[in-house]
Amino acid sequence: MSDYIVEMKHITKSFPGIVANDDVSIGIKKGEIFALLGENGAGKSTLMSILSGMYEPDEGEIYIRGEKVQISSPNHAANLNIGMVHQHFKLVEDYTITENITLGIEPIKRFAGLFPYVDIRNANRKIEELSKDFGLEVDPTKKIADLTVSMQQRVEILKVLYREAEILIFDEPTAVLTPQEIDFLLGIIEGLRNSGKTIILITHKLEEIKKVADRCAVLNKGKLVDVLDVKTTSVNLMAQLMVGREVSFESEKVPAQFKEEVLKIEHLTVKNEDGFEVVKDVSFTIRSGEIFAIAGVADNGQVEIADAIAGLTKVSNGKIFLEGKDITNESIRNRTEIGISYIPEDRQSYGLFLDFDLSTNLALKQYYKEPFSSKGILNKDVFEQFGSKLIDQFDIRSGQGIKTQVRSMSGGNQQKAIIAREIELQSPLMIFVQPTRGVDIGAIENIHNMMIQQRDQGKAILLVSLELEEIMNVADTIGVIYNGQLQKVASSESLTTNEVGEYMMGAKHE
Amino acid sequence: MDTIIIDGLSFALPLFIMAIGGIYSEKSGITNLALEGFQGFGAFIGALSAVLIANTSGIDVENLFYVSFLFAMIGGMGFSVIHAVLSIKFKANQVISGVVINILALALTTFLTTQINALVFGAASDKFRLGVSERFTIEGLANIPVIGAIFTNVYPFEVIIVVIAIFAWYLLYKTRFGMRLRASGENPHSVDAAGVNVSKIRFSAVLISGLLSGLAGMCFAYSISANFSSNIYMGYGFLAIAALIFGNWKILPTLVACLIFGFAKSGGTFIAQAMALPSSFTDLFMILPYVLTLLLLVFFSKSNRAPRALGEIYDKGKR
Amino acid sequence: MNKDKKKKSLSYRLFWPIRNEKWQPISIPVASILISFIAAAIVILLLGKNPLQAFYNLFQGAGIFPKSSYAGYKSILTDFLSLLNAMTPLVFASLAVAVALRAGLFNIGVSGQMLVSGFLATVIVGYSGLDAIIAKPLVLLVGIVAGGLMGGLVGWLKYRFNIHEVVSTIMLNYIAQYVISFFIQMYYVDPVSRQSKYISEEARLTLVNVEIANLKMDIPLGFILAIIIAILIKFLMDKTVVGFEIKAVGSNRKAAKYTGINVGRNTVLAMIISGGLAGLAGVTYYLGYFSSIQPKVLSSIGFDSIAVALLGNAHPIGIIFSSFLVSIIDQGSTYMSSQAGIRQEIASVIIGLILLFSACGAYVKHKVSRLKEKEEDRKDSES
Repeated sequence: MSDYIVEMKHITKSFPGIVANDDVSIGIKKGEIFALLGENGAGKSTLMSILSGMYEPDEGEIYIRGEKVQISSPNHAANLNIGMVHQHFKLVEDYTITENITLGIEPIKRFAGLFPYVDIRNANRKIEELSKDFGLEVDPTKKIADLTVSMQQRVEILKVLYREAEILIFDEPTAVLTPQEIDFLLGIIEGLRNSGKTIILITHKLEEIKKVADRCAVLNKGKLVDVLDVKTTSVNLMAQLMVGREVSFESEKVPAQFKEEVLKIEHLTVKNEDGFEVVKDVSFTIRSGEIFAIAGVADNGQVEIADAIAGLTKVSNGKIFLEGKDITNESIRNRTEIGISYIPEDRQSYGLFLDFDLSTNLALKQYYKEPFSSKGILNKDVFEQFGSKLIDQFDIRSGQGIKTQVRSMSGGNQQKAIIAREIELQSPLMIFVQPTRGVDIGAIENIHNMMIQQRDQGKAILLVSLELEEIMNVADTIGVIYNGQLQKVASSESLTTNEVGEYMMGAKHE
Repeated sequence: MDTIIIDGLSFALPLFIMAIGGIYSEKSGITNLALEGFQGFGAFIGALSAVLIANTSGIDVENLFYVSFLFAMIGGMGFSVIHAVLSIKFKANQVISGVVINILALALTTFLTTQINALVFGAASDKFRLGVSERFTIEGLANIPVIGAIFTNVYPFEVIIVVIAIFAWYLLYKTRFGMRLRASGENPHSVDAAGVNVSKIRFSAVLISGLLSGLAGMCFAYSISANFSSNIYMGYGFLAIAALIFGNWKILPTLVACLIFGFAKSGGTFIAQAMALPSSFTDLFMILPYVLTLLLLVFFSKSNRAPRALGEIYDKGKR
Repeated sequence: MNKDKKKKSLSYRLFWPIRNEKWQPISIPVASILISFIAAAIVILLLGKNPLQAFYNLFQGAGIFPKSSYAGYKSILTDFLSLLNAMTPLVFASLAVAVALRAGLFNIGVSGQMLVSGFLATVIVGYSGLDAIIAKPLVLLVGIVAGGLMGGLVGWLKYRFNIHEVVSTIMLNYIAQYVISFFIQMYYVDPVSRQSKYISEEARLTLVNVEIANLKMDIPLGFILAIIIAILIKFLMDKTVVGFEIKAVGSNRKAAKYTGINVGRNTVLAMIISGGLAGLAGVTYYLGYFSSIQPKVLSSIGFDSIAVALLGNAHPIGIIFSSFLVSIIDQGSTYMSSQAGIRQEIASVIIGLILLFSACGAYVKHKVSRLKEKEEDRKDSES
């Protein structure tokens, strides 16, 4: 009888094109916070998806409380008191908190002793009690669509607790939270441990591990590197083990040289489909040689600002000037021509045509012009030459070169292709929305360097990111948005991470 | 006036039950343009079973009413398996699948009707004669002014439909199955994460739509047309789809839409007869429900919100 | 073990064309056709008839194989020309479906668009008594414009009001059918045939009963046009900016918008082109293959064209081949029915089945590429 509550032995799991877990063995003790550290694609999430019954391993054994088990479904995992708090929330927006939490195990009552129906009232009460017990107060009758991101996360945690989980897996829980919300969450996690639960924390953020975790397993490229005692290990060592080499935490940057004004936004207001104002009276300017970053919690209007500048969303009030020209009512294409490059948030549904080949996707912003086409007839040779040039220049890797279907390329290389295409436009303004989402650490460094390089060449850059770390690293100027309003605009040197966090939550005003 | 209500109801209610089927399918996330085919095929099976039983047992076709309804529902459900398999298991484009099924239903039932007529009954006919089902009047209630028409000359199937519709409402909004079904159409990942099989839910939703459409088709066959032939394909399935879009994928507002269609149709016919216009003018009044559909869609398509995951192929293995 | 390997290699060889992605655009439709004919053969067997004989009759009726005897002035050549005559509107109609399909739209209103353009051309040109040299091009023009307008309306409803094109086209089909039936019965009816009055020979796009070498032939002028238009559409879709934008909108509307393509304009444009092609189908059908319009009936070509377009992968050259096949099934069915005693309606069942199996084709492709990925992995891990 071992003292481990969870033991995973020699786990191997592969997907088309990748071995996600390669002979990984870990043991987790009851009542500890066990961290899983690794870059994107290191295999952390896959390992935990196996534990929570989403995937079955190709090889290897799992022991829960000393008993060998085969976890075939999330249900089965729940029966073993294992629950996962997903990074991408799996919530039904139209449903109330209670309806979401009870989905799959709805409490039933019978009407007239015959017709079963879902007993929401009783469930509401139960969830209210539960939420108080763990310090996660929510109003169970509220709809998900009306909740903030951190509240939605509470619902995810309550979902797991409602299923009486003893072993809780948190998948990158802090990725989209403000520093203050992170502190709160880490407090909750510690509280859960103190009440006897076992916690597995998936993350790539070292300071969080240092703060709460007892032990930490490091994964790299699907393999287990080491299991460390957090108290006695330095952050630097953990980082080195994670990446497999020494890393610099900050991008190398020469001081910015601001020149003339490129983008000027005046009193911008944007409404969403329901007529609700999501951007309210926002004004700012970006100069040549400046990286202006908008910091904020998800869904506070930052993406809509970027879309409005690029012309994807209608402006309901205010003006946008590019190099002194009013572009508020220009078409998307004209804006590209006048000088906007746009790296969109969702590269697979906006940035690329996944079913078209790489050379076509690289020429997407220029196909209608000479020399790509003349008199309305496309010239495929030019497409191919242009594609080959960019592939070499930006080191875009793909199976069959310019003929590769973009769908089959890795996320990092898809992003590279978009950035290559947009840089090639030589636009005075470049917009980057979440440029490093879902790409591995090597590519992140690469993308940051490209942004800084473009800045140094005199481009004006607008960066929208949910990762505060990224913003603090790259930006020259930071604008913090909350609830559609800019709370604060200041140079990045004059702000601390905590201050930005407070503005992000609307807790502090100018 | 009374005839408008009586005829309007007898058209609107089958439309309504078919639209409920569509709501089930679409709320679970499966686009369903195949209602037209389901109702036709269901009516074919129902009519076929009626004439076959009448032929062997000597019972009058008009009396085989309930039997034929049972078979029509089974037939519609059986045919809907094709849509379920194509769009859930084979992950085919749901619009293509729907269109294919409509065409196949028309071709198959037309062929089989003539073939079976020739083979079994030795008659060169492209229809199964059914007659019109009997109607009843609830005496006391029928005397109430205006509303009384609702209780006058009622087809038995109208009662069946009302009962089933109430049950369908209860199932969709009050039970576990309904909760999970609606969640599947909004965010299948959440349903999957809750340990519920999305494919199974969607499969049963499509089958329910087939079942209810089959019932509707049989109602049309036993009332408006008094027989089964390829004339059953009058686009009513698409009217039902328009009704549920207009009703914002909710059961009660959809009933309102169906009633509007029903009264537009009966009203048009009534006016044409009242004005004693030549018969070619009835053609002009025939377009009323279709024009109305387009108009309603113009006003409501944009503001109404389809289930979020509608028409998206759900691939659970996707990373 | 050894035996096992052999077995594998046999099935491997047999299904090679389906496994090979390059051949899939041809192998999957061919497989769909084969399976459909096998299914039809089983039905025919169950009816106690000889399926091979029936299929042979089908091809005889269509003018591919010689019949045992011919009536006066008739031969295999006249049958074959009738086949081309019937095939002409089908090619146009299928191109109409295909162009819309490339833009991600489902034009199932082809039969309504055909009817409207056929009716307007009949009324405007067919009864006008104009000379052939003016009348024939004018018929084409009226067809294109009427169909294009109707198609454009559907595209506009889709873009402006978000009305699903399948619903709106069906509604327009019924409206067109009843309105035109009203006008025909009120003003243009031929009391004997109960159809619209016959159009003048000058306006007709098929030269009827032309006597050559003691044969009376129908020469479909529109057929040559259909082939030319098919090639033009191929060029438009593959080589031009307009075609690229239409395909981009069909592939991913969001990305198309992001790219700067005007999604609304291209949606409407694609439907105008589609409707225009349907209009050509209408005039070659009602003022070529036929010379009058039967009220209250929609042509089955509207539906056959969906089968043809899917079978031909929405590719213009593929469509020429697949519409040839579907026309054979349609045209030969009457003769088959008279010779083999099988109901003529089985023709549409066969077409429906082809359609069904073509729709399954996507699944086969999906499965094959999954299998391939797995194989690659195995190779990777073995090496």
